[in-house]
Amino acid sequence: MGLYEFLEKNSIYLVLIIALIVWFSVFVYLVRVDVKLKKLEDEFAKLENKEEVGK
Amino acid sequence: MLSSIWAIFLKDLKSEIRTRYALNALLMFVVVTISMILFATAGEVMSGELLSGLLWVVIFFSAMSGLSRTFVSEEDRGTVIFLQLATRPSVVYFGKLLFNLVLIFGINFFVVIAYLLTMENFKVKSFDVFLSALILGGLGLASASTIIAAIIAKANTKGTLYPVLSFPVLLPLLITTINMTQLSIEGAKLAETFGHLRILFSYFVVVVIASYLLFDYIWKE
Amino acid sequence: MIWKFLLGVYIAIITILAFVIPIGFIPGLGERARIIFLHVPSAWLSVIAFFVAMIYAVRYLRSKNIYEDVKSAASAEIGFLFCFVTTVTGSIWAKFNWGSFWNWDPRETSIFVLLLIYGAYFVLRSAIEVEERKATLSAVYSIIAFVTVPFFIFIMPRIMPGLHPGSKGDPEGAGPVVTFKMDPNMRILFFASLLGFTLVYLWIFKLRSRMEILKIKIQNKIYQEV
Repeated sequence: MGLYEFLEKNSIYLVLIIALIVWFSVFVYLVRVDVKLKKLEDEFAKLENKEEVGK
Repeated sequence: MLSSIWAIFLKDLKSEIRTRYALNALLMFVVVTISMILFATAGEVMSGELLSGLLWVVIFFSAMSGLSRTFVSEEDRGTVIFLQLATRPSVVYFGKLLFNLVLIFGINFFVVIAYLLTMENFKVKSFDVFLSALILGGLGLASASTIIAAIIAKANTKGTLYPVLSFPVLLPLLITTINMTQLSIEGAKLAETFGHLRILFSYFVVVVIASYLLFDYIWKE
Repeated sequence: MIWKFLLGVYIAIITILAFVIPIGFIPGLGERARIIFLHVPSAWLSVIAFFVAMIYAVRYLRSKNIYEDVKSAASAEIGFLFCFVTTVTGSIWAKFNWGSFWNWDPRETSIFVLLLIYGAYFVLRSAIEVEERKATLSAVYSIIAFVTVPFFIFIMPRIMPGLHPGSKGDPEGAGPVVTFKMDPNMRILFFASLLGFTLVYLWIFKLRSRMEILKIKIQNKIYQEV
């Protein structure tokens, strides 16, 4: 309950928490896109390589 | 080079005089817009500041309805290839710019006459400020709208996109000229508007130079 | 990947510091001046992103390499995003400091016009189907548009009276927003935040252009096989 009262008195820290949550969700989204993209690029590169070997 | 620019200009002028398409459409457009303003504000007393803003609204939209014509008609009639064969791109650009300048000064002249006749509260106190706003504003308006007309002529949707693309590019010019027109109604001296004149002039120069450099790429596309 | 996690932590630390760091007393603003850590970097970044978009547009016109066009469009998109963030944060802030969401202050006008310009840019891109033609025309438009941007960003806010710091008639003296007498804490954190924003911009830019380039490659592949 201590935290709740603290936040009620200093609502700016609530804003801080929300800002952090926003940043982390953006961050997690970016990391996920990054990982997925890397996977797709690797897959595509493998496809290209295979074709070159096939020729 | 000058003679070929002049030739392009004469060619546009002649074909315009034969059909009088842009000219008639523009004049009717001005009449319609001004009567629209008159109907919408019937019985209201409008201040000079408001009217000077509306003046540029009328000028902007009439310019938008007519100035793209020079390039779009070449594209429609399929005469682009002949022009490409005949001269260099920069010659075409300056010829079209000259034609658009003449057209915009014609529009400005007509709009101002019609405006002064119909709007009773539009009393210009310092004519030198007003005239320099009109002339430099017309120069800037023609320069930016010529290059955007060249872009638009190559796009699929020719009509609707033109004001959308031109407006943001023209806004620094329009804000400055509206400001100057308001000053001319308040009776400011020409020396007070020196900053405005500098903005308008540098806008014109910058846009013409950028268009001259970039026109090759659009024209050959 | 480790750098990206460090960036995540870095931005989180800056966010916390932006709320708790003492910034000294600023007349007329007080604690509300803390918006400088979010609002101003994103405004700078949007202009930088548009500038990068213009550079890539020039490079496209020189080389006619479609990847340059993709990068130009990606940078313009991110610039638009930052521009939007700047507008929204500034507008909410203005409600509490200046009394209304929108005042047509010269800087507000200029950010609004930036939104309009790049809105028109995306409309133009969607209106043309042929790939090369789209790239050329939008490159030309973005150069023409960027040429007129300095009139908004650097000239008009200086010569017209306005609410933002650095406007005409500002008692602190004209100049960029940052040179007014700032607390040293505040200045350091501001530049740290600017650095963080720049890195995030670079990251998104890389992702976006890689994505589009991969898309083009896959399309070419499909054409080849058909």
